[in-house]
Amino acid sequence: MDVLNWDGTLSAKDFRIGAIAFAQKWETLNLGYPPWSWVPSPKHPPLTSPQEEGYLSLEKIRISRPKQEDVDQNIKTDTGEEETSCSEKEDDIDDATLVQSSHHELQYYDFHIVYSHTFRVPVLYLRAYRSDGRPLLLDEFEKDLPACSVKELSKSKWTFITQEEHPYLKRPWYKLHPCGTVEWMKLLILGDTSQPKFEVVLELYLLSWFSVVGQVIGIRIPVNVLSDCR
Amino acid sequence: MAKEGSGSILQFAPFQSSVDEGFWHRLSSLKLNKFGIDDSPIPISGFFAPCSHSQVSNHLTLLAESLPSDSNEESSMPAIAQSNRNRCSVPGILYNTNTMESFHALDKQALLKAEAKKIWEDIHSGKAVEDCALLSRFLLISFADLKKWSFHYWFAFPALALDPPATLVDLRPASQWFTAQEAESISAACNEWRNSNVTADVPFFLVSIGFDSHAAIRHLKDWEACQGNSQKLLFAFYDPCHLPNNPGWPLRNFLALICARWNLKTVHFLCYRENRGFADLSLSLVGEALITVPQGWREHQCVPNAVGWELNKGRKMPRCINLAKSMDPTRLAISAADLNLKLMRWRALPSLNLDILFSVKCLLLGAGTLGCQVARMLMAWGFRKITLVDNGRVAMSNPLRQSLYTLDDCLNGGDFKATASVRSLQRIFPAVEAEGVVMAIPMPGHPVSSEEEKRVLEDCKRLNDLIDSHDVVFLLTDTRESRWLPSLLCANTNKITITAALGFDSFLVMRHGPGPFNSTTDLKTETTNSLSAAIDNLALTNKDGRQRLGCYFCNDVVAPTDSTSNRTLDQQCTVTRPGLAPIASALAVELLVGILHHPEGIFAEAEVANSNNSGSPELPLGILPHQIRGSLPHFQQMTLLGHSSNSCTACCHTVVSEYRKRGMQFILQAINHPTYLEDVTGLTELMKSASSFQLDWDDETEEADDECIEL
Ligand SMILES: [Zn+2]
Repeated sequence: MDVLNWDGTLSAKDFRIGAIAFAQKWETLNLGYPPWSWVPSPKHPPLTSPQEEGYLSLEKIRISRPKQEDVDQNIKTDTGEEETSCSEKEDDIDDATLVQSSHHELQYYDFHIVYSHTFRVPVLYLRAYRSDGRPLLLDEFEKDLPACSVKELSKSKWTFITQEEHPYLKRPWYKLHPCGTVEWMKLLILGDTSQPKFEVVLELYLLSWFSVVGQVIGIRIPVNVLSDCR
Repeated sequence: MAKEGSGSILQFAPFQSSVDEGFWHRLSSLKLNKFGIDDSPIPISGFFAPCSHSQVSNHLTLLAESLPSDSNEESSMPAIAQSNRNRCSVPGILYNTNTMESFHALDKQALLKAEAKKIWEDIHSGKAVEDCALLSRFLLISFADLKKWSFHYWFAFPALALDPPATLVDLRPASQWFTAQEAESISAACNEWRNSNVTADVPFFLVSIGFDSHAAIRHLKDWEACQGNSQKLLFAFYDPCHLPNNPGWPLRNFLALICARWNLKTVHFLCYRENRGFADLSLSLVGEALITVPQGWREHQCVPNAVGWELNKGRKMPRCINLAKSMDPTRLAISAADLNLKLMRWRALPSLNLDILFSVKCLLLGAGTLGCQVARMLMAWGFRKITLVDNGRVAMSNPLRQSLYTLDDCLNGGDFKATASVRSLQRIFPAVEAEGVVMAIPMPGHPVSSEEEKRVLEDCKRLNDLIDSHDVVFLLTDTRESRWLPSLLCANTNKITITAALGFDSFLVMRHGPGPFNSTTDLKTETTNSLSAAIDNLALTNKDGRQRLGCYFCNDVVAPTDSTSNRTLDQQCTVTRPGLAPIASALAVELLVGILHHPEGIFAEAEVANSNNSGSPELPLGILPHQIRGSLPHFQQMTLLGHSSNSCTACCHTVVSEYRKRGMQFILQAINHPTYLEDVTGLTELMKSASSFQLDWDDETEEADDECIEL
């Protein structure tokens, strides 16, 4: 394929190749996150051949919350929890059970990179939850995204978050809307003076893409990594 | 760190539970589609992994895959690799009750004991030595309230209690306990163990260190074989706990096994913990515990005491999670709709004011072809408050053109349109605040008997109240004279008013200008300046002196009369081309969105389409015309401007002040005397002069254009 005429999109097959290349590159970067894993799907939508189906997954990522007070307030106000008090008789005081006084609340993020057949680009799906598994709504975790990205969210043309059904899990997840992806991917990849070969583009694609998308969720890829790859 | 020789009671950090949303989703689906009211216990699996962070313990996690497959979704679920090093499987059992009462009534002590007994028996039979995953079990009781999408649940991690409890001789980071050489060898051996598909999810094992400081990892069943040929022998387990001074929960049943099977008094244990996927010996702990073998532990008939119900914020009570936000279809529909509108704002219309759209109250007079379509368009734009007024019933011919009705609504004489349309709107979008009012709109030139008078006056009053309580009025009835009273009332109160009317193959969509008393403050100052002569002029202008825009009747030279009976059949527009109503309705709603976003709202001047002002940044929604006329035969559409007429039968100063003065008496006269309005406004005179001003853009088209009615 001629890179000059490239429209910024990927085929489903290219996505899988690029995704696996990205996951391998990720491990060598050693940024302190667990590895991405490719989750194959046994489902075959009519548009694809079986071996291409799947998505990249990075789960249980902790993005530490800045202030502990916020956390406590949240627990009180927004859990929608109906506490059914039931008085249990304190029969068995067990000396060997450690009683922990602090209830450290943490939140976790799951990130999935899923291929969009409509936009022909990778799409980031995400969700957040507390350590007991309770899911968080966008307005509950939005404020924990890096400050710059919250600003980006409100004005930028490419970081709009919508809630949609996860194409594989069939449950509502949040996703970064992909309608601007093609334009900035072309800028990222073709903006460079050294016109790379398409095979190189493929290897770079998800890394470049994630260097932008990752900023929104507070995962930074060092600048030199990208330039080193070229 | 180290508590050398302290002899304190060895305390274990309890297991903590974490339940992925997917678990509750699948449980709901299973409950609805498979289990029904069958509440027998279900074997499930939990997953855990060694602690992987110095600040956080790992939880016992339940996922969708913890439950048996729901055959319906089996094909669409991603396959989970069988041996995942971070998903060591723990056998569990789920008691899901059918009611809150039975949830509370469960004998938790007995249930815990039953699970503990399984562990005890596996220890004595040796099964737990062969398959050490059996040493950690868990128990989950729950009540799934599927109407509220809330789940009440309580975990237990049964642990066999040593009596007296084990005491601690020494506990310190493994890196301090081993020599550097040993530590290196252990790390390598553990990493190998954790990376092998065969052993990665085997959570209990032996670490044997030979006299050459070389470490080897063995299965529990090799315990006898390890005797004698190791310098040090440690009982190791995947420790989910991160605390520096306490081992995690799995060690409890491990100690029970060690004590019951091998009768050891002193135990060296290794709490195996990781960092970034590799053995971390500064996080891992090595401890030495003293055990006094409790009475009767050699006989397996007497099951030891068990503990392990999970606390909720330090208290003995169940947990509850509400997933309405991700499971309630109504909430999902609302959030999807909202995000869609925000997406539109974000992509194309940054100045879009969604709050206005959400809060504006729309009154739709007529729930026929136009009313149905306007309601749908309003919902698509995010309007949530819609009232439909109609006195008709859904007829067999309606559903095809009136997009809110189906054949069901026509049965048994047909439902009232006002009722059926609201029902339909709520089915389309449950969050809509729709209301239906079954009511006829009083019409001029349709004389009423004195018995009917009272009812007609009540209807007038009701219509007036409805207009008062809404922000926007759509005139969508199928006769032009039924638009008269609302036009007058809207002119009197300066309501945003939009008219859509259909001919056979052409349409008119327009917004009414403000009424003649649109600036009461100005009026007062003018009158106090005793310039009452200016009032007549003022009535035609806005407060800033511009001429105000006309209403539906301003273009007329004929006052509204009975349009259905005074004509021959072919003059009555019995049909319209089916595409017209959707086109006109869509334009009517787009026009409203334009008005609501214009800083001057109802007072906004009319703009006419030309090439200069399209796509101007100050006009993100485009121009705001007064009238739009379209014709299907030419696939043509044009914007027009018509100013208010001082002989208009609905909005001129004479009529509105007459109404203000005489109220219902004036209305009754208009209703009962066909020429009354023309007389009042001087139209009769005007018609005699025969020169009528026409705004029709195409003289060939029927002049009855906007008078046409659709049935
Ligand atoms: Zn008028």
